[in-house]
Amino acid sequence: MKAKIGFGFGVALAGFFSLVPFLLFVSSAFKTQTQITAVPPQWRPEFSLDFFISAIGRYGILDYLKNSLIVAGSTTLITIGLAALAGYALARLPRKWAGMVLMAVLACAMFPQIALAGPVWRLLRLFGWLNTYQGLILPYVALTLPLALWILTLFFREMPEELEAAALVDGCTRLGAWFRVVLPLSAPGLFTASILCFIYAWNEFFLALLIMTDPAKQTMPVGIALFQGEHTVPWGEIAAASFITTAPLVLLVLLFQKRIVGGLSAGAVKG
Amino acid sequence: MRSRDLPLFLVLLVPASLVLLVFIAAPVGQSIMLSFQRIIIGLPQLGSPFVGLDNYRELFHDPVARHSLRITAIFVGSTTFFELTLGLLLALLINRRFPGRGALRACVLIPWAIPTVVSAQMWRFLFNDAYGLINYALFGAETHRYVAWLAHPLTALLAVIAADVWKTASFAALLILAGLQVIPEELYQAAKVDGASAWQRFRRITWPLVRPALLIALLFRTIDAFRVFDLAFVMTQGGPADATNVLQLYGYKKMFVEGWLGYGSAVSVLVFVIVMVLALVYVRLVGRRVMEAR
Amino acid sequence: MKLLVRIILVGLILGVGWGGGTAAAGEPTTVVFLTWKPNQPEVWNELIDRFHQAHPGIKIKIQVGPHSSTEYHAIVTQRLKNKDPSVDVFFMDVIWPPEFANAGWALDLSPMFPAEERDRFLPGPITANTYKGKIYGRPCYLAAGLFYYRRDLLDKYGFKPPEQWPEMLDQGRVILAGEKAPDLKIYSGQFKQYEGLVCDMLEFLWSNGGAVLDPRTGKSRLAEPEALAALAFVREKIIGRAAPVGAINYEEPESLELFVQGKAVFHRNWPYAYAVADDPAKSKVAGRVGVTSLPAFPGHGPASTLGGWQFGLSRWSRRPKEAWRFISFMTSTESQKLLALKAGLAPTRRAVYQDPEVRTALPHLIEFLPSFEHARPRPLSPVYPMISQELQRYFSRAIVDKEADLTALAKITGAKIEQLARLGAAVQP
Repeated sequence: MKAKIGFGFGVALAGFFSLVPFLLFVSSAFKTQTQITAVPPQWRPEFSLDFFISAIGRYGILDYLKNSLIVAGSTTLITIGLAALAGYALARLPRKWAGMVLMAVLACAMFPQIALAGPVWRLLRLFGWLNTYQGLILPYVALTLPLALWILTLFFREMPEELEAAALVDGCTRLGAWFRVVLPLSAPGLFTASILCFIYAWNEFFLALLIMTDPAKQTMPVGIALFQGEHTVPWGEIAAASFITTAPLVLLVLLFQKRIVGGLSAGAVKG
Repeated sequence: MRSRDLPLFLVLLVPASLVLLVFIAAPVGQSIMLSFQRIIIGLPQLGSPFVGLDNYRELFHDPVARHSLRITAIFVGSTTFFELTLGLLLALLINRRFPGRGALRACVLIPWAIPTVVSAQMWRFLFNDAYGLINYALFGAETHRYVAWLAHPLTALLAVIAADVWKTASFAALLILAGLQVIPEELYQAAKVDGASAWQRFRRITWPLVRPALLIALLFRTIDAFRVFDLAFVMTQGGPADATNVLQLYGYKKMFVEGWLGYGSAVSVLVFVIVMVLALVYVRLVGRRVMEAR
Repeated sequence: MKLLVRIILVGLILGVGWGGGTAAAGEPTTVVFLTWKPNQPEVWNELIDRFHQAHPGIKIKIQVGPHSSTEYHAIVTQRLKNKDPSVDVFFMDVIWPPEFANAGWALDLSPMFPAEERDRFLPGPITANTYKGKIYGRPCYLAAGLFYYRRDLLDKYGFKPPEQWPEMLDQGRVILAGEKAPDLKIYSGQFKQYEGLVCDMLEFLWSNGGAVLDPRTGKSRLAEPEALAALAFVREKIIGRAAPVGAINYEEPESLELFVQGKAVFHRNWPYAYAVADDPAKSKVAGRVGVTSLPAFPGHGPASTLGGWQFGLSRWSRRPKEAWRFISFMTSTESQKLLALKAGLAPTRRAVYQDPEVRTALPHLIEFLPSFEHARPRPLSPVYPMISQELQRYFSRAIVDKEADLTALAKITGAKIEQLARLGAAVQP
């Protein structure tokens, strides 16, 4: 019994701390201008949707949303595709070899992004890809590949080779075995990597700032940074925008959460 | 692995390698080259002479850089510790079946899902000394007791740490959760049948088997923590009096604000080297058994 | 044969590339304007529409970055330092022209912007845009540090706006004692470790007769008694006393919010703050706000830091003539009048201040004019960003660490600044 109460308490605490700061901030989206910075603060908002209307109409959030969806979505698809293929190879290649490749890949993830920004910018200019979707997507793929590769390689390694052996004996090609046996069983890993990739691409700021100056192509983080005028920080609109920008992500997680934890059934593993 | 699979496997590695080479390895190489040159963007007449290790020598003697390194080390140590611990607890929580589990999972992901530029603004707002809701939560309407969190060096650093832990504990939780999913349920059943307590089940089953996921979380968290930038930039601009002037922010100021392209690149290379060394240490100490055969 | 084909191909490509710069007959020329996101985009769009009507052969293409000075600087310099011809017109913060001029990023506008024309502008911005005798920017709007106060509170206690800093403290103490409001502070300003800190601190320094550098000798004046006394005043009497300790993390928004919530008697800010403070939808003290020049220390005159933005023309622009026409239009008397009336941006042309429409609609703007006329630019140097970082570090340390030895710090910072200034002055643009 004590365990159950302790558990319940833990759940409540986790929910509380995750949500409350965000809710407090987002409640500003429903307030009026003078209420937001009132001293002392008033935590119950006078209900007003002005900021949402302003954020959408005046600040054009929906365009930024569209661009972010395109960029983050494409990045995720490409990264997971590449990482699933390469991860499979790394999982099945001799350990020492694969270990070296993984460390090299890790090294790529370690370099500070702000230093990469300049050279990447010049590269994109060379290709004529500034202010294009692919100009942002490809660097994002490169930035998210290391984590995706590590997650998927370790996941694929967990798959006992007997399962594939069975498929191969049945006449599958190597890739066929991968597609039919290994991938479905790695669903948790795939979806975890996908969500992390998506969120990373969704939230990346510095590269997007330098590469996209065409308002038609700018993504959410840059868009929100543009809310600020000279010396003005429109807390209300920013709070409304945060609400709008987080909603798709939460929806995504809710939709796919079964997959994240829809783990291996013991039978399949024991096989 | 059958030997005739080798060509296939090598081919599978090509697309990913290509992307990484072009968009990361090449720029990294360029940055490293720049770190050996003396370049001031605003003074192009001085050219870009090759100065060998001078930038690094200067970095070594730069008191602001040393201070930045100290601050960053404190930041990395604290945030990684709290995030991994909280992440592990959260993951264990979410791993159990209970009604509302999906909702909690989504809740817990919200901090990570918000763009850092937004959450940085949010924390700047929440920690405000006059209308910040944190002061309100602690002291209610007694405004004379409000604390100016971001105005004192120590509390400013703590505030930035708190903001980062809030944001990233869920990243760690998600990673560790994925790792927990792989542990077969029967092991727990068998242990329960054998009369093992919850702690023993954790120690004997969970802990060893969740290590790979923990390692990934530790590795990537440390890497990211060393490169923290947005939080300090928005909340405090590195102040007060450089108390939150983390290394990446210092590098940014040197490179993009002051125009010391060579020196700024050297700061980035320094961060890179430190993180690389740490990663090697982790993999050696913790990961060896993990990386090799199960 | 193959070689010939190749040469022709290359020639074609080069020809197309070159030809692309000038307009083909009948096709409008595109001028790319890399701007920051304005506070009132409608007003700027209206201006650009007017330009299109007046100049049908030119089309303005807008690219946008954040208004944050550092972020905008990163975006603009990224293109300019890489000799990117894709940007024609951009903005420069008032502290950038020497840097841009020296690096050869901004085109020398002297041929198109002669002396008679320059005289029609206020002197401060013109000085800020001039480097080694040539002019590199055309001032769009300006800002200067102004002193805001609660007219109702001062009237209630029979005070006139203070002309000296110590007087402000005395008035403040009386008011606080009388009002018995625990949240009320005497003063609100910007003291976070960023560029704004330099603006605020220089006003204190200058108004005591101090300075950062002597322009003729290149020596630092930070360790002189006037400068140290001003700094000590801020450290001991303002931070944590007249102003809340949290001011150490205030930028313009936070400091203004304190004032418009009615929690500060006096406030230092740029001209934009007036419109906010007087708007009942945004301010609890609307209608009760007065503005004047900043106070000074006894025996000295007031000082105000110059701010504002100027248009620059990229050295690598392929259509400088059209770009100049755009800049010229945007800084014409008519345009500046529109920006003043509809966006509250202070004009840089004297003529606009004489305009009867402006005088009726914005009477306070005329009151700001003396501060504008005397606004001082920050040290003019191509390496100002580096000097600024040193100043920010110094000032922040001084006000945060009450035990720090100011004289020692001033000497160290001064030495660094001298070195940097020498570096910047030694090169030829």
